[in-house]
Amino acid sequence: MIRDITIGQYFPGTSVIHKLDPRMKIILTVLNIASLFLCRNFFSLLLMLAISVVWVLLSRISFKTILKGLKMILVILLFTAFLQIFYNDGGTVLWHPVESWDFKITTEGVFSAIFIAVRIVALILLSTLLTYTTSPTLLTDAIERLLSPLKVFHIKVHSLAMMMTIALRFIPTLIEEIDIIMSAQKARGADLETGSLMQRAKALVPILVPLFVNSFRRAYELAFAMEARCYGGDGKRTRLRVMKLQGRDFAMLAIALVCLAAAIVTSVVDMGGFFLFEKVI
Amino acid sequence: MLEEITVEEKLLRFENVTYRYEEDGEEALKGVSFSVQKGEFVVILGHNGSGKSTIAKLSNSIYLPTEGNVYVNGMNTQDEENEMQCRKTVGVVFQNPDNQIVASIVEEDVAFGPENLCVEQSQLRARVDEALKSVGMYEYRMHETHKLSGGQKQRVAIAGILAMRPQCIVLDEPTAMLDPKGRREVMNTVRRLNKDENITVLFITHFMEEAATADRVMVVDDGKIILDGTPAEVFKEVELLQKVGLDVPEVARLTAMLRKNGCDLGDILTEDAFVEAFIRKMEG
Repeated sequence: MIRDITIGQYFPGTSVIHKLDPRMKIILTVLNIASLFLCRNFFSLLLMLAISVVWVLLSRISFKTILKGLKMILVILLFTAFLQIFYNDGGTVLWHPVESWDFKITTEGVFSAIFIAVRIVALILLSTLLTYTTSPTLLTDAIERLLSPLKVFHIKVHSLAMMMTIALRFIPTLIEEIDIIMSAQKARGADLETGSLMQRAKALVPILVPLFVNSFRRAYELAFAMEARCYGGDGKRTRLRVMKLQGRDFAMLAIALVCLAAAIVTSVVDMGGFFLFEKVI
Repeated sequence: MLEEITVEEKLLRFENVTYRYEEDGEEALKGVSFSVQKGEFVVILGHNGSGKSTIAKLSNSIYLPTEGNVYVNGMNTQDEENEMQCRKTVGVVFQNPDNQIVASIVEEDVAFGPENLCVEQSQLRARVDEALKSVGMYEYRMHETHKLSGGQKQRVAIAGILAMRPQCIVLDEPTAMLDPKGRREVMNTVRRLNKDENITVLFITHFMEEAATADRVMVVDDGKIILDGTPAEVFKEVELLQKVGLDVPEVARLTAMLRKNGCDLGDILTEDAFVEAFIRKMEG
């Protein structure tokens, strides 16, 4: 199960999305997510969902992989949607079991539940696609460059970026290690799957302690290896891959900006027949 | 004057090196002196805790000697201005391949060293490709590092050092965590680099069979070098090797036993050589 985690993973490829300038890809993701949160009606929401799906299709990453990523948040998704049903009591009442209670399900409640669920799905699609299609080194390189103006305030942008590169690089290694430690503790008779929540939380301690101790040892060894490879830590380095903005980057930017504008306009203007929320969700 | 010239010729020279991990702790190395010449393939043998890994970290100024000096191409590793030049000349590959790979993609990891050396972008690509080809991992350049096998990871780590174009590679137990197949992959790669590309190799291990094809073998025990010679000379000292906790290869033990009982087969290092020599002896 634990090996199914795909957070921060990268799937090498040669699609248009893979080839986009990573800096632009980060900006596009931020813009798209902003548009997604500005959506106030189904028209703009469906537009953003369509955009997300088009991105996925363009990236040529299999839907199976994408669904695997979505599976991880399924519980959160259902829970949020479920709560949303009761937060909105406008529209026609669908179910009102006890007259004296305030508890009732209305059309608007159901609509907003669907709305929020679709929004979360689109959000996950867009954000996971960024890491799926960008190698961690390029991603953190791009962040380093985007944040480089912060150097004025004496913030060590390069160190931050290097920390992120290493964190992303070690996610699969640590996941593998958790798997090994879990097996080792199970072999010693540790019970990880039964008992109350408290008991199960306590059972995690013998897994986390060796994981942390080992992480320190790894960090120490990695520091030696990096020093042996002449790493200076001051950010004075050349790069294997050059970043260059191209036509396709600007084309994607134009599309994202149009979507943002559409989200803003449709949330202000009443689209008539189309469902429009009064409250901010 | 003459003395200085010979000093220059040694690629790596340890001069009475003592090293303590803690200020008043035990000495990990006790006055070790040796030198390695250009193009040599030297194996350092020793069991765990003998001080052999300390030698690796002293050889490119990651550790600095508590007493004595280490010279790389005549440069003292204690001078801070020599630090980068030393690390560029002597590359170190460590034991655990997982803990020395920095990037998630093979070619990006190999580029890490030369990137730090500020190699120009146009040359970077060539260096990375060349290093990957020379360890036989070129087809894997776009693969994720965590999905490779142990032997492949270690070869990527070697490529990462090669891309810095060092004159000498120090390998600190690079095969200790590998399966027999991975061990063979790494050994063959290192031998080829030494023979075809004339890279000096200092190979630290506790597997005696890996020492058989070296030019020179040094045995370290308790912070001191107790044996230094050709594999044939070293393998003859079966009793001493066993005393310091090394697994002497069966061939060497058998040859030593035969010699003791009046049947000298000469210098035998491999099973094939033994069989050949034994048959010759029987026929003759």
